[in-house]
Amino acid sequence: MQTGTQARKYRLQGAGLDLALPYLMLAPGLTIVLGVLVYPLWDGLRASTRAYRYGSPVSHVGFRNYVQLWSDAQFLNSLWVTVKFVALAVSVEAVLGFALALFCLHEFRGIRLLRTVLIIPMVITPVVVAILFRLIYASDAGMLTALSEAMGGGGVQILGNPLNAFIGLVVLDVWEWTPLMFLILLAGLQSLPHEPFEAARVDGAGSWRVFADLTFPMMRPVLAVAIVLRTIDAFGTFDQVFVLTRGGPGEATRLISIYGYDTAFKFQQTGYAAALFVTIGLVVLALAFSAIRLLRRIDAS
Amino acid sequence: MSTRLARILTTIFVLAVVLLPIYWLVSTSLKSNREITQEGTLYPHVPTLDNYVRLFTEKQFGSYLTNSVVVTFFSVAIALVFGAMGAYAIARFRLPFAAERKIGLFLLTLRIIPPVVILIPVYLLMLSLGLLDSWLGLIATYTAFNVTFCVWMMESFFREIPVDLEEAAMVDGDSRFGAFRRITLPLAAPGLAATAIFAVLVTFNEFLFALALTATPRAMTMPRGTATLIGRIDTDWASMAAAGVIGALPIVFFALLVQRHLVRGLTMGAVK
Repeated sequence: MQTGTQARKYRLQGAGLDLALPYLMLAPGLTIVLGVLVYPLWDGLRASTRAYRYGSPVSHVGFRNYVQLWSDAQFLNSLWVTVKFVALAVSVEAVLGFALALFCLHEFRGIRLLRTVLIIPMVITPVVVAILFRLIYASDAGMLTALSEAMGGGGVQILGNPLNAFIGLVVLDVWEWTPLMFLILLAGLQSLPHEPFEAARVDGAGSWRVFADLTFPMMRPVLAVAIVLRTIDAFGTFDQVFVLTRGGPGEATRLISIYGYDTAFKFQQTGYAAALFVTIGLVVLALAFSAIRLLRRIDAS
Repeated sequence: MSTRLARILTTIFVLAVVLLPIYWLVSTSLKSNREITQEGTLYPHVPTLDNYVRLFTEKQFGSYLTNSVVVTFFSVAIALVFGAMGAYAIARFRLPFAAERKIGLFLLTLRIIPPVVILIPVYLLMLSLGLLDSWLGLIATYTAFNVTFCVWMMESFFREIPVDLEEAAMVDGDSRFGAFRRITLPLAAPGLAATAIFAVLVTFNEFLFALALTATPRAMTMPRGTATLIGRIDTDWASMAAAGVIGALPIVFFALLVQRHLVRGLTMGAVK
């Protein structure tokens, strides 16, 4: 009798606990996310409708910060620099990564070494990657200058010249992130079915035909995902620019993240910077969700 | 024969492009500042370890390294525990109003937003809590970012594990949580490892929040400390190069050690 009630009580407790279990399991993670990410996000939204001026009380300005952005030449320029940087870097990375993945698809000696070495650029701390490239570009201590002098030439100017500095930043990003493109696309190529390729070989199709009619169409979804991931990531690039050029010379490499950081921490315009960051967040989210929709369409067709 | 030659040449070219900048960093770190700026040598003619010694004796690199290891360890460990539990709940339970799916989508959305967007309010939050320039402030911030990542990644690993195994354990008298802990979690170990590795890389390398939230060697991490060597008027190239080597070494070593898991984690989401 006694053991019977005990057993039933035990089971009931267990059932009750099981009912609450999903909530209990979600609670700790959600608590910290709500506290450290969501609350600040809301706080940032609130701050973006205010103006903070030293010595005067906080004033509510509604959407004025947001409106002001679109007549701020420095903001528009940083947006343009960011778009140029992302478009150029990501497309070069996609082309190079794809070519390299096709090249590595067939096993040959040295491929393991190649794959291992290609991991290094993307795991090195971005700050250190920027140091690497400062040491290459520096007009006095740089590798390019040393090589040029060894061949009888003069010093090389990269970071002091607006166009060269911008290209130098793109080259840095290509060096750092082409390997990721390569790894994703190689995994994609390796997961393609064999049959269509064998059939094409039996039919005597040339390698260009195979690429244009089979490989590329079949790889489109993976390629799209890799490009979207990289684009979203590149949009937030900060560390490398902060260490390499600090946005200069002039505004040549001042990406939107650098401009926002300076607005907040150097110029102390907290409300305006908050509006700027909310705008970037919305742009990236819109980009991501339209990309997801596009991918679904590719998948369906 | 010609394809073989093309392969060899391409391999050498790619290796050179990746390794030359790294060679130059290491080589510069072994030169004196005089040799670097005045002689422009292509390899260290008078190799010296002074630059490294200076980092630890004069520039607090020991503290930076300790801070990085402590902050990375705790934020990844906590996020893995919280994240794995959250991911399991989302993968296995059907909640009212499809709440589990909405929570998953919400966490993914948070992950897509560039971190720089919440930099200012997080700074203000840590300021008001008195957590600026402390381990705790960094750990809290990184844990939150890592939780969104761990939930997203672990969820798909849990979905791959058949429910039958847990049900069998529960028939044998395990509670639901017991089945999760004793059956599912060990089966998801490879996924857990891939997740942890990725989180360690991202956390150890993080710079933006370390820049805003720390100011002294008490809490500065490696990337943050390395960046303090830069931007003075007389650039100390030799120290900077040595700092680059010290900063990169632990994480590159770690990445090469766990290479296979790393590649799986990196390519998993995209190919599926």
